[in-house]
Amino acid sequence: MENYFNINLIFQYLPQLLSRLHITLLIVVSATVIGLFFGIILALFRVYKVPLLNQISIVYISFMRGTPILVQMFIVYYGLPLLLMKIGININRWDKLYFVIITYGLNAAAFKAEMIRAAIVNIPIGQVEAAYSVGMTKLQAFTRIIAPQSVIIILPTLGITLVGLLQDTSLAFTLGIIDVMGKVNAIAANTYRSLEGYVSAAIIFFILSILLEQLFSRLEKKLHIQKI
Amino acid sequence: MSFDISFMIIALKEAIKYIPITLVLAAIPLIIGSIMGTLIAVIRIYDIRVLSKLVQIFVVIIRGIPLVLILYIVYFELPKWVDTFSTKFNWTIHSKDINSIYIAIVAISISAIANISETMRAGLISVGKGQFEAAYSVGLTRSQTLRRVIIPQALPVIVPSLCSNFIGLIKGSSIAYLVAIVDIMNGALITATANYKFLEAYIAAAIVYWVLCACIEKGSFIIEKYLRTFTRGECL
Repeated sequence: MENYFNINLIFQYLPQLLSRLHITLLIVVSATVIGLFFGIILALFRVYKVPLLNQISIVYISFMRGTPILVQMFIVYYGLPLLLMKIGININRWDKLYFVIITYGLNAAAFKAEMIRAAIVNIPIGQVEAAYSVGMTKLQAFTRIIAPQSVIIILPTLGITLVGLLQDTSLAFTLGIIDVMGKVNAIAANTYRSLEGYVSAAIIFFILSILLEQLFSRLEKKLHIQKI
Repeated sequence: MSFDISFMIIALKEAIKYIPITLVLAAIPLIIGSIMGTLIAVIRIYDIRVLSKLVQIFVVIIRGIPLVLILYIVYFELPKWVDTFSTKFNWTIHSKDINSIYIAIVAISISAIANISETMRAGLISVGKGQFEAAYSVGLTRSQTLRRVIIPQALPVIVPSLCSNFIGLIKGSSIAYLVAIVDIMNGALITATANYKFLEAYIAAAIVYWVLCACIEKGSFIIEKYLRTFTRGECL
């Protein structure tokens, strides 16, 4: 088997793949923003045990954590237009990217909700009671006592979930999104040199994961210094 | 177009038939991952020269690459390797004889080894360095220390994360449909190819996965409770 692995091709493919990197990053960033927003709401429902909403969020989180993101993506893709059609909104002409972002956002929300809940529950109840006893309202106790401490607990796990999310975005190509992974498949189909393409994509994902990890461990160190 | 519940039940029945395939795709990597992962964790904890660095590089690289990429690389490259070796050594196995399910198992196992080794390492570290030293000081060997002191204490920590690893593997195994393996996901989809009711099929698949994962989670709780009963007595 001659010419089994051509390293020059990797340098040829890498720029092509990097040109689609913004799609991958767009999915990751927007899913994180959506996920954090809904995750905080879901976590608060669960921590303060809001009736009915608490049960709904338990079922929602369990579903999102118990099913593969691949299945969720297709359910959103086929189900959301059907659901919105009932209330008179037609989104059949939407770009597929929106469906992907919605799915990853909803999925991230469930994972982040659990993470945030764990961080909030982790703070001793005595601190909250102390805050109430000095006359703080519920909102003040949350924003001044609970939230700042939870952020420090959340950060390392947030880094891990972000790396997980980044790796999950590699499944978006099944819906026809041309992100890094979609581009690799296109290259592989065109040139029959699959290995080089996949290795280049692996390099990109690997470097991104390492960068994210480094970024979060730096942040963590900085916050820990401030805490002391 | 409206939601067809009766068709969803048909898809559900079809999907349930393929639970064993998904379980095989998740359980075999779990077993391989547990064995190799423990080995890697032990190598890294005892800081064995060269080997420790090598496995660390392996773990970091594999954890940085999405499972789909590993699956594709293995799927497209493993048959070529098998063919080269079989022509070299006159094996009777050729790439066309390999069922793609084995390829998926290999790919999922590679990622499972890296992920589970981290679980194992965290579990072993949680026991505390003093325990290792105490065991050495009473004259236990390395393997005795592990078997009699460390592992019994690490198990209650490891089992819950191992179960979440298993759930991750079950969810991860859904990508095996990309290489045309008929698992829960594909089993449900096959019923929909005739009438394009994909939404119902996907929801059926989701329900099966959900129930499966919920059962494993419950099982994990029960095992954890059982394991904790031993430590509780000792602490007092």
